[in-house]
Amino acid sequence: MQHKLVRVLMVVVLLAMFSSLAAAQDKAVVTWGFWGSPEEAATHTSVAEAFMEANPDIEIEIWHQPWSDYFTSLDTLWAAGDGALIPDVLFLSPPIRYAARGVLEELTPYIEAHDYDISDFWPGLLEYGTTYDEDGTRRIWGFPRDIGLEVLYYNKEIFDEVGVAYPTDDWTWDDLLAAAEQLTVVESTGRVSRYALGMEGGKFALFVLQNNGGLLDDMRNPTTCLLDSPESIEAVEFFAGMMDNNYAMRSANLGQAGGDAAVFQSGQVAMIIQNASRVSAFNAAGMNYDVVPVPIPADGQRAAAAGGAAWTMSALSDDKESAWTFLSWLQSTDGGQGIYTASGEILPALESTALSEAFLGSEENPADPPANRMAFIIEGRNAKPGGRVAYFPEWGEINGNYVRPVMNEIWAGEAVPAEVLPGVCDDVDAYLAEMNAG
Amino acid sequence: MRSNAPVSRMERFRLRAGLGRWNPGQQSEAWIFLIPGLTGFVIFVLIPIVMSMGVSLTKWDLLGPPEFVGIANYVELLTRDRVFGRVLVNTLYYTVVIAPLQLGLGLTLATALNQQIRAMSFYRLIYFMPVVTNIVAAALVFQWLLNRDFGIISSIIWDIAERYGVPVQPPDWINNPIWSKPAVVLLTLWKNVGFTMVIYLAGLQGVPEALYDAARVDGANGWQRFRYVTIPMVSPITFFLLVIQMIGAFQLFAEPFVLFGGEPPQSTLSIVYYIWQNAFEFFRMGKATAIAWLLFAIIFVVTFIQLRLQRRWVHYEV
Repeated sequence: MQHKLVRVLMVVVLLAMFSSLAAAQDKAVVTWGFWGSPEEAATHTSVAEAFMEANPDIEIEIWHQPWSDYFTSLDTLWAAGDGALIPDVLFLSPPIRYAARGVLEELTPYIEAHDYDISDFWPGLLEYGTTYDEDGTRRIWGFPRDIGLEVLYYNKEIFDEVGVAYPTDDWTWDDLLAAAEQLTVVESTGRVSRYALGMEGGKFALFVLQNNGGLLDDMRNPTTCLLDSPESIEAVEFFAGMMDNNYAMRSANLGQAGGDAAVFQSGQVAMIIQNASRVSAFNAAGMNYDVVPVPIPADGQRAAAAGGAAWTMSALSDDKESAWTFLSWLQSTDGGQGIYTASGEILPALESTALSEAFLGSEENPADPPANRMAFIIEGRNAKPGGRVAYFPEWGEINGNYVRPVMNEIWAGEAVPAEVLPGVCDDVDAYLAEMNAG
Repeated sequence: MRSNAPVSRMERFRLRAGLGRWNPGQQSEAWIFLIPGLTGFVIFVLIPIVMSMGVSLTKWDLLGPPEFVGIANYVELLTRDRVFGRVLVNTLYYTVVIAPLQLGLGLTLATALNQQIRAMSFYRLIYFMPVVTNIVAAALVFQWLLNRDFGIISSIIWDIAERYGVPVQPPDWINNPIWSKPAVVLLTLWKNVGFTMVIYLAGLQGVPEALYDAARVDGANGWQRFRYVTIPMVSPITFFLLVIQMIGAFQLFAEPFVLFGGEPPQSTLSIVYYIWQNAFEFFRMGKATAIAWLLFAIIFVVTFIQLRLQRRWVHYEV
């Protein structure tokens, strides 16, 4: 009697094991790699859950590393070359660097086969994940998840206290300077107790491009440095002048003080120029603030940079169709884009998502501050490829060795733009000549 | 030798096991015992050293296959790379300034703490604490002390200026290149002087009391006893510390990196920072390893010179 029971039980257990195995075999598994803080990882996980609910036949496995380890871990996996270990869908920046190494699957055929609408990306943004063959064939390797558009954040309380009118969407550099003069507080000893503006020196190219200057003539196949053009020099002088007048915090001080978000929250600066990444922190701190598009010179242009970390597909993925299903879902308003945007962490890569309730809110369900979210849309519609975003791998070295150190001297007040920028261009031109020759 | 001598049980066992007797020419057993240690050494030290020599002759971005370029990386560094020249000068500055200050301060502190006073171990602990403090935490504290806008020391100076109407301003440690290097030196000294002090303390306690007594009898005053007994007697320690501290100063990296919030001004960059930058920012592994080998060569030459010079001033006899 007992023996029989045991036998029946064993059969049941075996059957159960087989059936679950069979079920597992039905399901496609897509491994998904990303970096991020625990909060960001939580958002990613909720995105994976939402996808699995909508697509019960695909299971998402998460491969998560902190930013500091992410790329080294990936490099190790690629060096080992085992496709089973490498995530199928990956978050990467800059995607074309990896495309050049042949580790990514080209997305163009999938876009064509599935009629995926790429016109919804902000102008120029897709260029960040695109390469061109010598015959001009366009190859897309990654979908930027978001776009790093800067806006001008301003602390309403400080503006009220000083009695300066709030910035508007059509502010120019002159308006910025006039307000800065009133907002800055310098004590009789020379100590600055409040700066008008906090902006990382590394963002100077924004001003340069607004003023119709440039870094290089071509950000894909560069031959000449443009930092010594009169427009570029004028823009650098504008920024450096703000620092010399104590209107803007010197870049190194800003870094040491904990960055623009910290000094904006502490009231040490009245305005910052930064992308949407600071919104959630300011909202959590309950700050009274708003945003406007970045002021431009009277005869200048908007110069938002079109770039952002991108979703890519591994060339070694063993189920590329499922990977594409997930990747294209990630990059849709009803899918990943909407969830990320609603979490307040990103400015979506798709214009339709930015214009949706997820970003702008609605009558019944108003969005969190800043109230003037249209400022991001204005910058997004004017985003340009190239300019501040480099599409060739040597830019890191050019910038790190020849541009950034000299710019840092300018931000420190130790060098005069018109005197040192021609020298920067001499160095960069020499490097480019050697690079293009060899 | 083996003929008729009585054979112990142990020896019989060894003979049967084929191990035989000790024989100076036979070292296979030694190798067996060395294998565990040697394996680690070969895999984790020797092979990487040889490989890095090889990598320094290539152009390699870590992912693609390395491309052999001969000595091009070295040529670039020694002829065209202006940044390398600058970081080399900075590093020499650190070495020349930090090592002697470190030794002088360490010996002074050690002498002061080698007395019989109350709560001595407490003072020793205080001075040694920075050595075991995390460099990132220490650098942050220095930022909060020195920062011109909100640093505590700077605030005191601003307050004095305001209260007494004196036209003084705190130095601009980050932006002014005249001050930025001393800021790094200050942090490094504060951080490491405890180590020098502890080693000197040990050395001072090894100086025989009899020598001081003899000097006293000869009428030597405090300074003379220090100059003609203490200093020569701790000279082997001084030599050891000099070598260690110079190598440490050549390899300075974390201090400027953290003190200036991840983007140190060019006036403070060290060679090791440039190695890191080339390897992990510019992905030029070949150039980075070439710099590492040049740094090795510099340290080797300096240490070799020190070893030769020590004969003139280091006293080993007791």
